[in-house]
Amino acid sequence: MAEVEIKLLNKVYSGNTRAVTDVNAHIRDGEFIVLVGPSGCGKSTILRMIAGLESISTGELFIDGRKVNGVEPGKRDIAMVFQNYALYPHMSVRRNMEYGLKNEGLPRDQIATRIAEAARTLQLEDYLDRKPRNLSGGQRQRVAMGRAIVRDPKVFLFDEPLSNLDAKLRTQLRSELKALHRRLAATFVYVTHDQVEAMSLADRIIIMNAGRVEQIGTPLDVYERPATRFVADFIGNPSMNLMTGIVAEDRARVVLTSGPTIALSTEVEAAPGTSVDLGIRPEHLRVSDTGGADLTLSVHMVEHLGADTIVHGHIGQDAGALSLRVDGVQDFREHTQVPLAIAPGHLHLFDTQTGQRLNCA
Amino acid sequence: MQKRVIFRSAWLPYLLLLPQIAVTLIFFFWPAYQALESSFFIEDAFGFSRDWVGLQNYAELFRDEGYIRSFRTTLVFGLSVAALSLSVALVLAVAANRVLHAATAYRTLLIWPYAVAPALAGVIWYFLMNPSLGIVAYWLKLMGYDWNHYVNGDQALLMVIVAAAWKQVSYNFLFFLAGLQSIPKSMLEAAAIDRAGPMRRFWSITFPLLTPTTFFLLVVNLVYAFFETFSLIHATTEGGPYDSTSILVFRVYNTGFVGQDYGSSAAQSVILMIMVVLMTFFQFRFVERKVNY
Amino acid sequence: MVENRPFLSFVTHVTLIVGVGFLCFPVWMALVASSHGPEALSHSPIPLWFGDQMWQNYSDLLFGGMPQVGGVPVGRMMLNSLWMALGITIGKISVSILAAFAIVYFRFPFRMMFFWMIFVTLMLPVEVRILPTFDVVAKLGMLNTRQGLIIPLMASATATFLFRQFFMTIPDELVEAARIDGAGPLRFFWDILLPLSRTNIAALFIILFIFGWNQYLWPLLITADESQYTVVMGIQRMVNSGEQLPVWHYIMGTAILAMIPPILVVVAMQKLFVKGLVESEK
Repeated sequence: MAEVEIKLLNKVYSGNTRAVTDVNAHIRDGEFIVLVGPSGCGKSTILRMIAGLESISTGELFIDGRKVNGVEPGKRDIAMVFQNYALYPHMSVRRNMEYGLKNEGLPRDQIATRIAEAARTLQLEDYLDRKPRNLSGGQRQRVAMGRAIVRDPKVFLFDEPLSNLDAKLRTQLRSELKALHRRLAATFVYVTHDQVEAMSLADRIIIMNAGRVEQIGTPLDVYERPATRFVADFIGNPSMNLMTGIVAEDRARVVLTSGPTIALSTEVEAAPGTSVDLGIRPEHLRVSDTGGADLTLSVHMVEHLGADTIVHGHIGQDAGALSLRVDGVQDFREHTQVPLAIAPGHLHLFDTQTGQRLNCA
Repeated sequence: MQKRVIFRSAWLPYLLLLPQIAVTLIFFFWPAYQALESSFFIEDAFGFSRDWVGLQNYAELFRDEGYIRSFRTTLVFGLSVAALSLSVALVLAVAANRVLHAATAYRTLLIWPYAVAPALAGVIWYFLMNPSLGIVAYWLKLMGYDWNHYVNGDQALLMVIVAAAWKQVSYNFLFFLAGLQSIPKSMLEAAAIDRAGPMRRFWSITFPLLTPTTFFLLVVNLVYAFFETFSLIHATTEGGPYDSTSILVFRVYNTGFVGQDYGSSAAQSVILMIMVVLMTFFQFRFVERKVNY
Repeated sequence: MVENRPFLSFVTHVTLIVGVGFLCFPVWMALVASSHGPEALSHSPIPLWFGDQMWQNYSDLLFGGMPQVGGVPVGRMMLNSLWMALGITIGKISVSILAAFAIVYFRFPFRMMFFWMIFVTLMLPVEVRILPTFDVVAKLGMLNTRQGLIIPLMASATATFLFRQFFMTIPDELVEAARIDGAGPLRFFWDILLPLSRTNIAALFIILFIFGWNQYLWPLLITADESQYTVVMGIQRMVNSGEQLPVWHYIMGTAILAMIPPILVVVAMQKLFVKGLVESEK
C-alpha cells in the first residue's frame, strides 16, 4: 500500500493546449480519493499520468516515495480499471486475470491461488472459463476489477468504471467497491463525472475545473464549505441557488441585484460595495409561516419526486432563478407566490471576480 | 491515424517497416525511376549505346497514330467493360436483394467468377467465339451474323470486352449487394407508406443512396479494365487483329519486349504510372474509399 | 414489409436465373468440352453435353506431359501455382501486418514519409511498369528463381491499409491495459494484436491467395524453365502454340483445373471472403 504524491503537475499538449495546470495533491496510504469534475477538466489526464499512460510535462510524481516520472506503466506497481472494461476479447476470464501476472513472471501456483481468491471475492468462480463477450456488463466490470486485484498493486486506478452500467447496477457495484476498498485497505484513485458517486465513495474528493484543482476535501467539507463558486455549483442536486449582489455598508447584509436584501449572521470579510455571489442550497430554504419573508418565490414548475418536492421559479416577479426543496409531498401551485425564509448559517458568499469563497468573520 | 497511447522505441518501428519499405524501394521506386530515366534516352537493341534525347520519346509517342489509337481503344474498352459489368451487376444485386429465401444460394452462384483469372476468362470466351467451332459463333451464324474476330477488329474488341466484363460482374455484384443491404429498411418503409411503388422507390431512394458505391466501382472497374486485363488480351488476341485490341498496357509490353524499343516503352510506362497515381488520388479524395489490386 | 406482387417476384427470379446462366454458361461449355475427345471438337456445332473422355483427359493433363508446354504435366504446374500463391499470400500478410503495426502504434521520425511511400504504390500494378521491374530483377540475378517470382509481388499497400484500418478500430484502452499488465510492444503484438486480427488475416488470405494464384504476366516473364511454369500462364502456351491448331479439350480441361482451387476457396469461405473484400475496399 502506498501514498501518491503529486507535485506541481502540468500537462501541455502539442499546440499549447493545457490539460492540467499546477496540480498538487497528497494521497494518503489506504485512502479512497475521487477526482471529479465536468468532462475535459483534466481529471482523467491526471489519472493517466499516475498510470504512466500519459507523459508528465512538468512536475513530479511519487508512488510510495519513488519518483516514477519516467517509469513504464507495467513497472509502477499500479492496476487500472477502465470505463469500457478493456478486457482482452480473445482470452477467457481466467487468462485475462493471469496476463499481467504471467508478464511479471510469477510462478504458476501463486498465480492460481491469487486468481482463485479474487474470483471468490468477486463471485466470478463460475465464469472463469468464459470469454468476455459472454458476460453481462456488470460481470465484465467485475472481471476488470479482478484483473486489478490479482496484481496486488500499491495503487488502484479507476477511470469512470461504472459509467457504462445502468443505474441500478451502478448503485450495487458502488457499494461493492466501497466494501472492496475496506477489505483491501489499499489506495484507490477514482475518476468520475458523477458527483453522487464521488460523494458516496470518497474519503476525500478532488474537484477539478479547467485543468486546475478547485478544492480537496471530505465529501461533507465540499458540500458544507465549498471553496469556490464552481464547487458550490457543481456539488449538490439540484444545485445551489446563486444570486448576484453587493455587500452593504455594514458588511452584514447583501443587497441582491433582484431587489431583496439578505441579512448575514456575521460580517463578511469584504469591502462594502464588493460584487458577490450569494449562495443558498435549495434544501436550506423553507416556506416562511410567520409572514416575514427573506425572499419571494414565483412558482413556475413543481417536481414531485416522492421523497421530496422540488419547486422551481424566480425571485419576485421575474428576476433570478431559484429553486426550493422540501421533504415529502407538498402542494404547490404554479403561478403562485411563496414567501421563503433562509435557514440561518447556511449562506455562502463568493467573490464575483475571483470566484473564491468569502469568509464571514 | 494515430493511437492515443503509443510504444516508444528508437529502432523497433524501423525494423518492422524494413521489409515493406525494402520491397517497395527495390521493386517500385527503383523501376519507376529507371522508367523515368530511360524514357529520356534512345537505346539500340543490343544495349551498347544510348543517347540522351530529352522528350523525344514522348513527342514521338503522341505523333504515333498507333499510340493515339491505343488511347482510344483503351477508353472504349474501359468504358464498355465498366458499363456492361456495372449494369448487369446492379440488376442482379437488386434482384438478389429482393429474394429472401434463396439469397445465399444465388449469391454463391453469382460470386465464384471473381476467382477466375482474367486470362482464363479470356481463353474460355475465345473458345466460345472461335469462328470455326465456337458455340456462340455458331449461334450467331444461325442468326445470320458472320462472326470472325480473327479478321474483324471490332468483333475482337467486343469479344475481349464481354470476357472482361463477365469476370468483373461478381465483384460489382458483391459491392452493390452490400450497398443495398446497408440502406436502412426504415427509409424504404417510409417511402412505401408514402405510396411509392417498387420502381419509384428504386429510382428515388435506392439508386441515389448507391451513388458512392457506383462511383467507387466505376473507378475500380476502369483501373481493372485499363491495367489488369493485360493477361486477358495477351492470352487471346495478342493485341490484334491489326492492333484493334491493343490497349495501352498491352502496348507497353509489346513495345518493350517484342519491339525492343526501351525508350518508348519506358515513356509509355511513365504515362501509365502518372495515370494510375492520378486515379488513386482521385479515388481517395472524392470517394474516400480504398482501392483494389 | 408486406409486399404482395407475385409478378415482380417472378421477374426477380427470372432475372437471377438468367444472370446465373450468363455467368455459368462459359464454364459449363469449358467443362463439357473437356470431356470430349478431339474428334467431337473438330467440327461445328460442338456438343452441349458431356462426352465419355473426361477421366482420360484429366488424367492425361494432370500426370502426362503436355508437349505444348515442354512436356510438363498440368499437375506440376498447379503445384508451382500453389507455391507461388502461398508465397505471395504469406509474404504479403507478414510484411504488411508488421508495417501497419509500426505505423499505427509508434511515433517516429519520417513516419508520414514512409506512409506516403507505401500509399503511392497502392494501385500500381506490375503490368504498368513491367519492363523496368523486369530489368531490376534481372540485375539482381533473380530471373528464373522462386524468389524472383514471389518477392517483387510481396509488398502490398492494400493489405497494409486494411490492417491499419483494423488496428485503428481496436480500442486504445486495450493497449493501455496491456501496458499496465507489463506487456512491451512485441508481446502486445503477439499476445493481443495477432489473435485479434485472426478474422482479418483469414479474409485477406483468401483475397491474396486468389491474387497470387491468378498471376500471369510476371511468371510468364520470370520463369524460363518449363518445370517452373504456373498453370494460369501455362495455358497461354497451349493456346498460342504457333503453327499447331489449339487442342481445345486439353485447353479447356486445363482452364477448369486452373480455376478450381481459387473457386473452391471463395465458395467454401464465402462469408469471410465477402466480409474481407467489402471491408478492405471500402
